[in-house]
Parts: sequence; C-alpha cells; structure tokens
Amino acid sequence: MRCARCGAEVTNKIIKINGVIYCENCVRELGYDRYITNPEEILGAAFSPLDEIASSFAKMAELDFGNSALTCPKCGLSLRQFENNGKVGCIECYNTFGDYVIKEMFRQQGADEYAGRIPGQSLITEGDDSGDSEPEEDAKNESKEETKEEKSESAKAEENISDEKTLEKLSKADIGMLTDEELTNGIKLATKFENYQLAIRLRDELKGRKEGE
Amino acid sequence: MAMWYEKFGKDQDVVLSSKACIVRNVKGYNFPNRMSDSDFDSFMEQVDGAIDKSVTGNIWSANALGSGDEEGDSLLTPESQLFGRDMSIIRNPNHKCIYYSDDAGTSIVVGSNEHLTIRSMAAGYDPSVYARADKLAVELERKLDMAYTEKYGFLTSDIRLTGTGLKMLYTVSIPAISKSNGALAALRQRVAQYHMDIYPFAEQGELADASVYIITNISTLGVGENEIISKSKMLLNDVIELERSLREKVATKNKIQSSDMYGRAYGLLRYAGVISRREAVDALNWLRIFKEYDDSGEINVSWEKINKLTQDVCWEFIPPGKRGSMDAPAIRAAKIKTILKGDD
Repeated sequence: MRCARCGAEVTNKIIKINGVIYCENCVRELGYDRYITNPEEILGAAFSPLDEIASSFAKMAELDFGNSALTCPKCGLSLRQFENNGKVGCIECYNTFGDYVIKEMFRQQGADEYAGRIPGQSLITEGDDSGDSEPEEDAKNESKEETKEEKSESAKAEENISDEKTLEKLSKADIGMLTDEELTNGIKLATKFENYQLAIRLRDELKGRKEGE
Repeated sequence: MAMWYEKFGKDQDVVLSSKACIVRNVKGYNFPNRMSDSDFDSFMEQVDGAIDKSVTGNIWSANALGSGDEEGDSLLTPESQLFGRDMSIIRNPNHKCIYYSDDAGTSIVVGSNEHLTIRSMAAGYDPSVYARADKLAVELERKLDMAYTEKYGFLTSDIRLTGTGLKMLYTVSIPAISKSNGALAALRQRVAQYHMDIYPFAEQGELADASVYIITNISTLGVGENEIISKSKMLLNDVIELERSLREKVATKNKIQSSDMYGRAYGLLRYAGVISRREAVDALNWLRIFKEYDDSGEINVSWEKINKLTQDVCWEFIPPGKRGSMDAPAIRAAKIKTILKGDD
C-alpha cells in the first residue's frame, strides 16, 4: 500500500484521512499530527483525572493506616496483624493498640464494659450445681429464712451489700428480659437506695406491660 | 465407662448437647499464638501444678500421640468432641495438651487458642454444665494469676471472648422447625431478641440444612454470667416448646405419611449397606419427629441411641484424602447397624 501524496510505501501505520491513505511524513507535513498521536497518550490523557483520584485514594489509605507500623513491644504483633485476624498476642497489646482494640470489641460485642464476676469468686453457691436456681433467687430464699431469726448487725450489712450488687445488676440488665416480679422487687430496692432514675425505668416497663395486656 | 454423650439427658428429644466453655489466660506469658517454646515449657509446668487431677485426671499431649495407650487412643475419636470438629488440635499438636475426665465430659484444653479452655459437656439440656466449668475456672483463678482488668474483665487473645470468656453452646436437632414454613425465621428473630445466635451445624457440604443447629450467646462483655445463663435458659425453653408443638402437628396431621417415613427411615438406618451422612441425618430426623407418636410398638429405639447416632454422624471426621471414597459410607452404615441391632 502506498501513500497517495508521495507514493512511498506505507509500512507501519495506515493513516486514512477522508478516505485517502497517507504515510506518516506526509501526515506531519499536512499538519494532521493529531492522527498520528500515540493512542496510549490519548487514553492516558483521557483517564488522567481517574489517575489523580486513584492517587488521592492511595494517599488517604496511607493516612488511614498511618499506624500500621505500630507494633506491640512485648510480643511483636503488629497492628496490621491484629486488624487481619482480630487476635492480640499478649496482655500488653490491649495497651499498645488501645483504641483499635476497644473499637473492635465494641463492633463485635456491642459493649466495652465488663459486667461479669471477679476472679476466684464463684456465683454458684456451695452444693448447688443444678444450674436451675439463680444466685438472686438463692439470696431471696436466704433472706426469708433469716427473717425468722433476729438478724445480727453483720448479717444486715451483708444483706445491704447483696442488695447493692443486685441493684447494680438491675441497672445493667436488659429490663425487657426481667419478669414482673423482678421488676416489682427492683422498684422497691431502687427506692430503698434512692436510685429514683432506675426505679422510674422499672416502673415504666411494668406499667407498659400492664397496659399492653 | 459410658462417654458423656451416651448418657441420659433432659429434653434430649430436641437438645443433643449442652456445653459451657470458659477461656482464661495467665499473666506473664504471651497468648498461645505468640508463645515461644521455652515459655511454653515453664507455662505448662505452672498450669500442671494448678490443675485438680481428681476431676480431670487423664492427660493427652503431643508426646502421648501414638504411644499405644489404649484408653488414650479410644478418646482420640472425633465423637468425644475433645479435639474440635476438624481435629485441628491433633493435626497441629504442638504446645497443646488436654486434661479430661473419664467420660470426657469435663476437660481443660491448654494452649489451643487461649491458654486455658475449660469445657463442660453434657447430653441433652443441662445448664448445670456452667456450674461445673465455673468451679474448675474458679479453682484455677485462685491458683494462677489470671489476665484480668476491672474494665474489660478476663483478657483473651480473641477479642470476641474478652470479658466473661464464657460461651454457652447448645446443639439442637429441630427438624420440625426447620422444615415448617416461617418457623425458622420466627425462631431467628426470637434468638436475636435474647441477643444470642443460632447457626447451622454445617454451613455447607453434606450436612448443610440437616436441621442440626447450634445456639450460643454472642456477647461476653456488657453481660454477666447470670444473664447469659438465664437468657439461654429462657430461649432453650422456647425452642423445645416450639419444636415439640410442630412435631405434634406434623405427626398427627399426616399420620399415615409420617408413620411411613418413620418406618422407612428406621429400615434405611438398620439395613443399608452404604449410607451418606445426609441420608443418615435425614432418617434420624424422621425417627425424632415420629418416635413419640408411634403406637405400633414395632420400632424400639431409645433417645440415647438416636442422639448418639446423630452426634456420631455429625462429628464424624473423614481425612481430606479419603473424602469421596466409598469406604466411609460403608463403615458408617456398619456402625449404625451395630448400634441399632441391640434394639431388635
């Protein structure tokens, strides 16, 4: 195939302008440079805004993981490793990755405050491993028996501590799960300890249930 | 001695097993995923001295593997549920050791995902598994300095367990719920209300949709042990009640068809020469649905056997290389036959 202008053989690129075939030199001389521009350059220019966006994302990612080099001084676990599998390597990790751990715990569990028992102190009373009675119920039964006898000062103090613990549990509990009886007892207890906010919450729950019936 | 899962259990027509798992870590050592060999040796020494051998007197460790100890070997079965469903502990035994009771119902796994995993398992619905596991946990807490803070409770490697470190797991077989329109969706909603989770025993493979589910608590933070136990009790009562009422509906509404399916199911289990896991579980489901309504008196199979068979099939471990071969279905069928033979 030959150039229609100079007659030279067209080897690499066939450039057709208005149906006429030209060689690369003639195209340049005629001022049709845009027809011989490298397509990659054109595409590159066309997508250059996307490149900019992509690079800004990369910069943002660098900012987000700016602490990815953070490593626990005790066990050597990196923050990136923790983020990948949700497991820490030692107790110190809880301090090293503090906020990240708390955020993840909250995301997984919906809470970040402990509400369980303290080490070495069982909630199960001696001789009761049936699992059918609650420690609260045991406390209630105990208190009934005690009313038959004259309570000593120490017993009263113990009862107060137990009441306070029950009250604390009530304040953390999902009140929708409590029985009517538990709510009634809770109101009495909350009033006794002047925790009126809790008493009102419990009262409203009980009232709501009665109205719903 | 009968294994824990061969014993009688309450509400065992619905609940296959109850398990309480409590995890604890000891201060001064990295968690198992970052623990060095030398640390593990001194850690093991400390833990061994603290464990009460009167309860969990047997020990399995990497060193004991292949020792030929008959009692130990008999427990090296997936059905004992000591080693995890994929037998991961045996496949990677380094830095791991298990102390267990004679019936394998109580165990302390050392060095698995956390330093100590205290586990109590019982057949049927038995919330007292918590008390047994808690007793062991308390004893260990008195002897070992545990990783604990007032704010977050017991610290764990897996932050989904931080707090009480307690997981209550109930394995339930609920064919009537899972086959009834809308019942499973309603149950899922109920479970979510209790802030618990229900998921199939197997998400995929032969046992997917096999009507065996696990119910467990989600949170270990923000809730105390009592709340976890009482919520799981309330939920399990609901599940048992719902499943039984739906079984009654199925069995009485279509008595002829149900009775037919029941007889066919027993026949398949009793006489098949080759049986897949799915076929076996489906047949066991029909035994479960109709057993209480069968007045013919021709089939006498106890709940203990139905549950043992269900658990044997569910927990059966087939090594990756042998999956797809005909050996496993033939061996399975022969085992089932042997167990049911005694009822004839």
